Amino acid sequence: MTTSEVSYNRKIISEDLSNVEFDTSEDVEVIPTFDSMSLRDELLRGIYTYGFEKPSAIQQRSILPIVKGRDVIAQAQSGTGKTATFSISILQSLDTTLRETQVLVLSPTRELATQIQKVILALGDFMNVQCHACIGGTNLGEDIRKLDYGQHVVSGTPGRVFDMIRRRVLRTRSIKMLVLDEADEMLNKGFKEQIYDVYRYLPPATQVVLISATLPHEILEMTSKFMTDPIRILVKRDELTLEGIKQFFVAVEREEWKFDTLCDLYDTLTITQAVIFCNTKRKVDWLTQKMQEANFTVSSMHGDMPQKERDNIMKEFRSGQSRVLITTDVWARGIDVQQVSLVINYDLPNNRELYIHRIGRSGRFGRKGVAINFVKSDDIRILRDIEQYYSTQIDEMPMNVADLI
Amino acid sequence: MNEQKEKKILFNKSTLLSLKAELLKKQEEIQEKKHLPQHNLENFKPSQSENKKNKIEGNNPTKKSLKDNLRAVDAEEFEACRRSKSALEKKAELYKHLTEGAGNSQLASNFLVDFKGKKQEALSKSEPKLEELEKILPFEDDDSQWTEFTDFLGRTRKCLKSDLEHYRKRDEELMKAMTNATKDEELDKEAPEPPQQPEKPFLVQKTNDYLQSLRDKWEQQERELLAKEKDIHYQDILFDEARIHGVGYYAFSTDETERRKQMEELVKRRQDTLRAQEQAEEIRKKRDELIAARVAAARARQRARAGLPPEDPEEKKKDFTTCLLEFLTKQKTEADKKAKEEEEKKREEKEKERQKFREAYIREWDVGKEGTNSNVKKFREMTQEEYVEQQRSKRNDDFAPPQTANSVKSKYSFDTRGNKVDSETTKNKSWSDVRPVNIPSPPIIGDISATQKGLYFSTKKDEIVVKYKNFVRAEEPIPINNELSDEEDSGMERNMTEKRKCDSGCIEVEPPPTYEYYGPTSKQTRREKPFTSDLKEAMAQGSKSLEPKESTRQLPKCYDFTFE
Repeated sequence: MTTSEVSYNRKIISEDLSNVEFDTSEDVEVIPTFDSMSLRDELLRGIYTYGFEKPSAIQQRSILPIVKGRDVIAQAQSGTGKTATFSISILQSLDTTLRETQVLVLSPTRELATQIQKVILALGDFMNVQCHACIGGTNLGEDIRKLDYGQHVVSGTPGRVFDMIRRRVLRTRSIKMLVLDEADEMLNKGFKEQIYDVYRYLPPATQVVLISATLPHEILEMTSKFMTDPIRILVKRDELTLEGIKQFFVAVEREEWKFDTLCDLYDTLTITQAVIFCNTKRKVDWLTQKMQEANFTVSSMHGDMPQKERDNIMKEFRSGQSRVLITTDVWARGIDVQQVSLVINYDLPNNRELYIHRIGRSGRFGRKGVAINFVKSDDIRILRDIEQYYSTQIDEMPMNVADLI
Repeated sequence: MNEQKEKKILFNKSTLLSLKAELLKKQEEIQEKKHLPQHNLENFKPSQSENKKNKIEGNNPTKKSLKDNLRAVDAEEFEACRRSKSALEKKAELYKHLTEGAGNSQLASNFLVDFKGKKQEALSKSEPKLEELEKILPFEDDDSQWTEFTDFLGRTRKCLKSDLEHYRKRDEELMKAMTNATKDEELDKEAPEPPQQPEKPFLVQKTNDYLQSLRDKWEQQERELLAKEKDIHYQDILFDEARIHGVGYYAFSTDETERRKQMEELVKRRQDTLRAQEQAEEIRKKRDELIAARVAAARARQRARAGLPPEDPEEKKKDFTTCLLEFLTKQKTEADKKAKEEEEKKREEKEKERQKFREAYIREWDVGKEGTNSNVKKFREMTQEEYVEQQRSKRNDDFAPPQTANSVKSKYSFDTRGNKVDSETTKNKSWSDVRPVNIPSPPIIGDISATQKGLYFSTKKDEIVVKYKNFVRAEEPIPINNELSDEEDSGMERNMTEKRKCDSGCIEVEPPPTYEYYGPTSKQTRREKPFTSDLKEAMAQGSKSLEPKESTRQLPKCYDFTFE
């Protein structure tokens, strides 16, 4: 994000917001270093040991308002440190002597919730912070025990968190901040009800932070229902794709050819790590089996697998033991594995937002990435639409694609 | 088998007997040879490598003793080696051709071996297995007949339920084969396995074993985590993640006491470092002072030697220009400081107001919660102005007052001749004019700041201006920035401009500073803003705007107040 994205257009807000253009708030201060953010020493130490040296654009703008207690809507390109942004803010505003849940972070997938827990624990390693991942598919008893033990931050998925709140295991009276990661997904039809349910249990006027790489207009419109005069840090959609992620397509005439193309690309996949996206769980299973039968080593993950298996696959992939992962959109948002440099859309995603999120699994925090889309002849139109919508460029895949990874 | 009929082999009793004798003899020979050590499979070495070995062994003594013979021997042996190699290659090629062609080849009749029969035999053995395998391939099949099992190598496999027994048996065989150390056995039993390279299972098994051990390790870690009532730290949940950390990264122990020790050690070292830095700084300062004193002393000595009076360090520095400069900068910084403070104060005030509003604001989702004021109504009470605005926005446009009349829209408004209308006269006409300047903000104030903060250069007075959307709509029809244009499309506008031209001789009123916010919101007008104070300048700008648009875009940089 450059300064150009922070535009200073004056707009008038009225009750009917459908025709209003939302823009970055004007009074957003830009703080160029972590040192000048007046963060606590222990937190600063955690930030530097985790590997951050200079705050990214979103971090320069969002951390301070969140710490100040303002409601914030923050948008930034994938892999530019959004999770760290709110994690740092959370850690700065925590009272570690108070052993009660003070911040609730909600995210759409269990893997993402676990990842956020990890980041918070990493950044707060010198602060003695306690963060619990409250996610479905795990043992209820353990969850209850952990929460009873006293957690400063709870990072979870809406279903289990709501369950815990209703059982009064997760006490909400000290909660002063609610963070919705991947906010557009969380406020979509599927999740909105659950978010509302959780929100109803929170103290009134709780600070709310919305974070996502994509924030469609509908989402921004509804924010006044649960936010007070939010500060917005937004990105124009033609600046949403990262320069570092090169996007290509491979034209295939028939569906069957996709498999052969994938096999041909296999050597390229294993240069570092790669993620292959299919649109259905069934197709993930099928493709995995076919690849394995053709003697290619691949692993796969989707929402129908038992949580234990999902965990193991994640660990294997994160540790670099497996290099090629075939998966569904459960993996599309937020998951951060540094070494992923190639994303393949075996099927084109079902909407434009998902495209941004999927290709954003590569090119993490300034690294290079490549996205390859397999398109049948009738898919090219969709791809061109995406290309135009984000004012980006998707070329035909060159022969030397391996050099770009 | 048809081939056999074609090839007529004549035989009688004696030939049969002699053949049998020959066969027995050969078998005996084989039996004998089998027991020789070099034919034991364990001692087997590929012929080629044997050749090489011989060569090397043969060479070494000759090298030492007879250098002259060396080349001859070498060449001889090399030639022999080459010949045998080429012969073997030819043979292999021929064999391959025959097995592949399996009788179709014309050459086949020259040999006694029935290659076709051989091939069919092999196929009949392996075919059923291939069929079985192929059944697994299509993924559309119904799940009910299929079952999954994990084989010895840890692979999850799918097969028909009826075949499960068979596969299990094979799996057991495979396991035996794998656990037996001898290579030949492994190879033998590997053969019935589905087509795979012989080395692969071993590799697969190794990696699988490794993965399994990792998984076990992680599980163990997780169990430990759950078992203990203790704090969880980053190291506890890292699970061998391949992540690049910062240079200062230190992997703490997962053991709590150990971790605490390490943390203490770290803190101590940090303090030590800080202390050392401080000391170093102090020493440096002292040394600098000492050097400065010495230099001064040396200079004084020099001056004394030259017969000059001792210098006054203070006086020397202060000559007039530096004094002036100092004074000026001082004043400037003071002024800057003052301005800054003022700005800060203003901002703080605004912020306070906003804060007040924020505190009063009740979110829709919060309504009915315990903490919210019980006497708060479920709906928000509107101010009179807001109500009027709302009603107006609901109004059918057909019933709205004529638009020309509506172009008078705010405190700063114009009549049709472009004259500023006195606000007193219009006061009773619109609610917006009744509105006090410091009324509480409207519910969504995210943009009050937008109208307040001057990131653009503007002569506008700083005032809180509350803007409602129907005013915007109303003013859109008549953009005034085209007032000097000759080619208006609407006749009404032309009339207006003509009238204006007539009047412009006597009345010259500059547009109000707030015009840019009330007027049409196009960037052009904004850019031209700084010139509105000078009519001539404004005229020039206007005529400039009539030129092709490209030229207007290239305003001199100093007038371009938009941000990159």
